[in-house]
Amino acid sequence: MIMRPGQQQLLLPLSPIFMWGSLVFAMLLEMIPLGRGAWMPDLLALVIVFWSVHQPARIGIGAAFVFGLLMDVHQSAMLGQHALSYTTLGFFAIMIHRRLLWYPVFSQALQVLPLFAVSHLIELAIRMIGGGVFPGWTLLVSPVIETALWPLATFALLAPQRRAPEPDANRPL
Amino acid sequence: MPLGTLDRTAPPLFNQGPSALSKLIFFSALAVFLMVADARFNIVQPVRSAIGAVLYPIQWLALKPVQLVVGGGRYLEDLQTAQNNEAAARKALALQSERASQADTLAQDNVRLRALLELRQTTQTPGRAAEVLYDTADPYTRKLVIDQGLTNGVAAGSPVIDEHGVLGQVTQVQPFTSEVTLVIDRDLAIPVQNTRTGARSVAFGDASAHGGGLELRFMAANSDVQEGDLLSTSGVDGVYPAGLPVARVDRIERRADSAFARIHCVALGHVTAARYVLVLAPTASQGVPRPAPAASSAATPAAKKKSDKPADKAADKGGKTAVKTEKSGKSGKADKAEQADKPDAKSGAKSDKNERGAQ
Repeated sequence: MIMRPGQQQLLLPLSPIFMWGSLVFAMLLEMIPLGRGAWMPDLLALVIVFWSVHQPARIGIGAAFVFGLLMDVHQSAMLGQHALSYTTLGFFAIMIHRRLLWYPVFSQALQVLPLFAVSHLIELAIRMIGGGVFPGWTLLVSPVIETALWPLATFALLAPQRRAPEPDANRPL
Repeated sequence: MPLGTLDRTAPPLFNQGPSALSKLIFFSALAVFLMVADARFNIVQPVRSAIGAVLYPIQWLALKPVQLVVGGGRYLEDLQTAQNNEAAARKALALQSERASQADTLAQDNVRLRALLELRQTTQTPGRAAEVLYDTADPYTRKLVIDQGLTNGVAAGSPVIDEHGVLGQVTQVQPFTSEVTLVIDRDLAIPVQNTRTGARSVAFGDASAHGGGLELRFMAANSDVQEGDLLSTSGVDGVYPAGLPVARVDRIERRADSAFARIHCVALGHVTAARYVLVLAPTASQGVPRPAPAASSAATPAAKKKSDKPADKAADKGGKTAVKTEKSGKSGKADKAEQADKPDAKSGAKSDKNERGAQ
């Protein structure tokens, strides 16, 4: 296997249980009623993009769509609003997944910023067409926070795969 | 290896299913279809209910930490506060008990007077208490979620009040929870009556981003409205019982370039801080006879079944008022069916007189 520049060690295989568990956990975090701020980061979108980039064979656009529907029902938003936004996120994440992982983590974060911005823009456009209230300019903060959480997500979500027994300079795994 | 295996189909080693672009197109089209179906045709309600039922355990779990924090904070509240609260509650109870005893007498008087005048009797509206679970996180609308749902007998379209005034209307009923659209949501309109002048109008939720209020639209610039006027429900819509306080007029802008005044109001119900609310049955579902429109078509038995659906659309006396909630299409029809079902209603003029008499 080719080691990418900046990659410290080879990763263990991913446990699907952990991946789906992390998605459900992110959805649970999203569902905690913390109020109605437009600036709130969409953690579920972050985790969906993360796994679409790292495991495009295991999670696809369909899963993103289903999670979007669940969020629509929970937030009592228009049915299909989050679904469309997450579908687009999943598509763009799969489009960039080959390129993205060759960059260091902070550079990756900069490159996923447009994705999150587009997803929030889609939701805003849908609601403006559907006759909603403009939620305020704090909406712009949301993709920035999601971008800032990317390195944290990389650290936390890849942690189970990093449990190498005895890494040394000559034997990376 | 049997002959002819390879030259017909390649082994699916690298088969990844349909391409990402085709998936994107398929799911986007599905999402757009769902949005149109949800916003315009109101046909995805079963899907929403099914997903809501599946989602309920996760929602319940997600609520727990917040409830723990809130409950823990209240548990550690000191004794002094509790005693003060109890004293205040007892005072309020004493004040109210005096009024309540008067109210009994007044109610009896009212019944006799109404019988003398041959007016329709006012109906008691049954209510059920509910607890507010959370504000929906959707920043584009103003909604609450309460802990009473289809299994508790909540019907879509029911008015929701708290101890200070009207909060809003139930717009979505899930199996175990319901969504209440607040009066400050821009999609909700509520027919009101100025208690000082008796003038009827319609209050709409404020559409501005920071608007936590209501707006009286279509009031002429020279109409008799003053700051501080109380607005209560007029009861002409067949949804809200008459006389519930809704809002207070906060600010009036009379501009030279417009024939209408901009009238901003503040909701009286605690729309952002309510904890316990009362869900009333819509008055139209209690068989209150309403004036039938002249051009109403013949009622069908199928329409009768629908009559417990929300009655969102009402015709005011002037004919200008159309109360629209976000799902008004179907429910408006149900309301018309309701009106058509009651041809035995006393004439429109009589019930008009009645509504004036109720003030």
